[in-house]
Amino acid sequence: MEFEPVIGLEIHVELKTKSKMFSSAPSVYGKEPNTQIMPLDMAFPGTLPTVNKEAVIYAIRVSNALHMKIDNELHFDRKNYFYSDLPKGYQITQNLRPIGIDGYLTIDINGETRKIEIERLHIEEDTCKQIHFNDFTLLNYNRAGTPLVEIVSRPDMRNGLEAMKYVEKIRSIVVYSDVSDGKMEEGSLRCDVNISLREKGTTTFGTKVEIKNINSISYIQKAIDFEIERQTKLLLAGEKIAQETRRYDSDKNETILMRVKTDAVDYKYFPEDNILPIKLSDEFIKDAIASCPELMEDKLHRYKQDYHLSEYDASLLLANKDVSTYFDEVVKYTNNFKLAANWINVDVASYLNKNFIEINDFKLKAKDLADLINLIDKNEVNSNQARNIFSKMIEDDISAKEAKEKLGISSQISDVDFVKNLINEVFSENEDAIISYKEGKGRALGFLVGQVMKKSKGRVNPKLTTELVTEELERR
Amino acid sequence: MKEYNLEVLKDAANRLLFDMSDEEYQTLLNEFDIIVKQMNVIGENKKIDEYAPMTFPFDVYVTYLREDIAATPLSRDEALRNAQHKAGGQIKLPKVVQ
Repeated sequence: MEFEPVIGLEIHVELKTKSKMFSSAPSVYGKEPNTQIMPLDMAFPGTLPTVNKEAVIYAIRVSNALHMKIDNELHFDRKNYFYSDLPKGYQITQNLRPIGIDGYLTIDINGETRKIEIERLHIEEDTCKQIHFNDFTLLNYNRAGTPLVEIVSRPDMRNGLEAMKYVEKIRSIVVYSDVSDGKMEEGSLRCDVNISLREKGTTTFGTKVEIKNINSISYIQKAIDFEIERQTKLLLAGEKIAQETRRYDSDKNETILMRVKTDAVDYKYFPEDNILPIKLSDEFIKDAIASCPELMEDKLHRYKQDYHLSEYDASLLLANKDVSTYFDEVVKYTNNFKLAANWINVDVASYLNKNFIEINDFKLKAKDLADLINLIDKNEVNSNQARNIFSKMIEDDISAKEAKEKLGISSQISDVDFVKNLINEVFSENEDAIISYKEGKGRALGFLVGQVMKKSKGRVNPKLTTELVTEELERR
Repeated sequence: MKEYNLEVLKDAANRLLFDMSDEEYQTLLNEFDIIVKQMNVIGENKKIDEYAPMTFPFDVYVTYLREDIAATPLSRDEALRNAQHKAGGQIKLPKVVQ
């Protein structure tokens, strides 16, 4: 019997606003516990929620990027539950009227485009951080009230790779639209997977298992692939799938039972009566959409179309939004786009890796790197010299020109007559090499070019020299 | 519907960490009698589930959205003043998961 996996994802994205969703407490990650709190976050009596404008703008940006219908009214509801992670006894969310509905995104799987439909995107508040010890729990309310959007896909995915690509795409959208850090390891993007198996060719859903809080994109694929295998084995053995919540253990590469679900929890949703319905004007929605920075897909297109970069080079730059922003800045000062991409993808990337720093902490300003690229582009320095200049610029915090002078690198000679004179001298001293070339020994060309370089003490432009030596050899 | 009596109210008050005098409980019970009667009248409408809750019975809309400006938060001491048990600047409570 063959089974078909049915996979749907719920993704929570923390929005990088300055203040919380319903209170004006600062929303900053990594501060001392319980120092980012206003009375509302602790549910002190007499406090009322107010809706963060920027969070609404961010939710509209993402909804638009996901091709969703955007509601022009904001309605909030209470999701009631009694637990220590939210002191109010309920979470403010959007149950009945999410801000975005009926969207989709596309992913590329082995050259084919798959459309994944998205049911809803709603705004809500995050809960507090709980740390569980052997016999007690500690509560840190700094995170309580942080703005979130939850993006719920339809059960359109069929394997771990599709799910992973889907999350990658969502991540790129929230990062490039500048609404979130999208850092799974820090919890600013969290993913829950719903997965069931059904007999191939049937349409009824099987029993759903939820895998919670997977904190890395690659683990999503691994967790799903493991779960498909686990459920397949159980079904083939004639056993039933239990409706349960599991977690992924990356060390063992397996999913582990957290709890068995009995009936669905009744959250007794009802409208949040402390927030009146809020009308969003067409202009507000239009401005929110217009404020969205260029998305990764559009940038990829631009890099290929305008800068003639390969898919590979462009994708390397776009893998990190800040790196692509740095590239955008560099190409404001140079027209050699390919060289700029190579330098950033190779030399700059290697420097950053070696020194464990991010591009935003990189000393070299984009214009300075562009100046260096222009020196190479004009054949004033060769690549080896450029690498030395690059190191010197970083080391001494100086410009490309200053580093070149400090290293005593004089500009390459590109005077055709001067180079031709040197070639004639070398040719008259090395007639054997010319004969070897005529006999088809290609290495003779390199030898002759090397001799010219040597005679000039490495100052002649190697590219020009190679061209002129080849020309002279063909002429003789 | 669950029956409301003195025992149920006392249990609820205990869970919510407050207590009242017998006279106050009796006042509350009398009010519950009225509420329950009214709920029963509403419940007689068989199509009640088809109606949306009248949380906002009038078309009152606002356009106010708060600007995203962070204010000075409470000091930690102030924020945790009501907590009975604390550790490392956090609220300490019996373990809430198994």
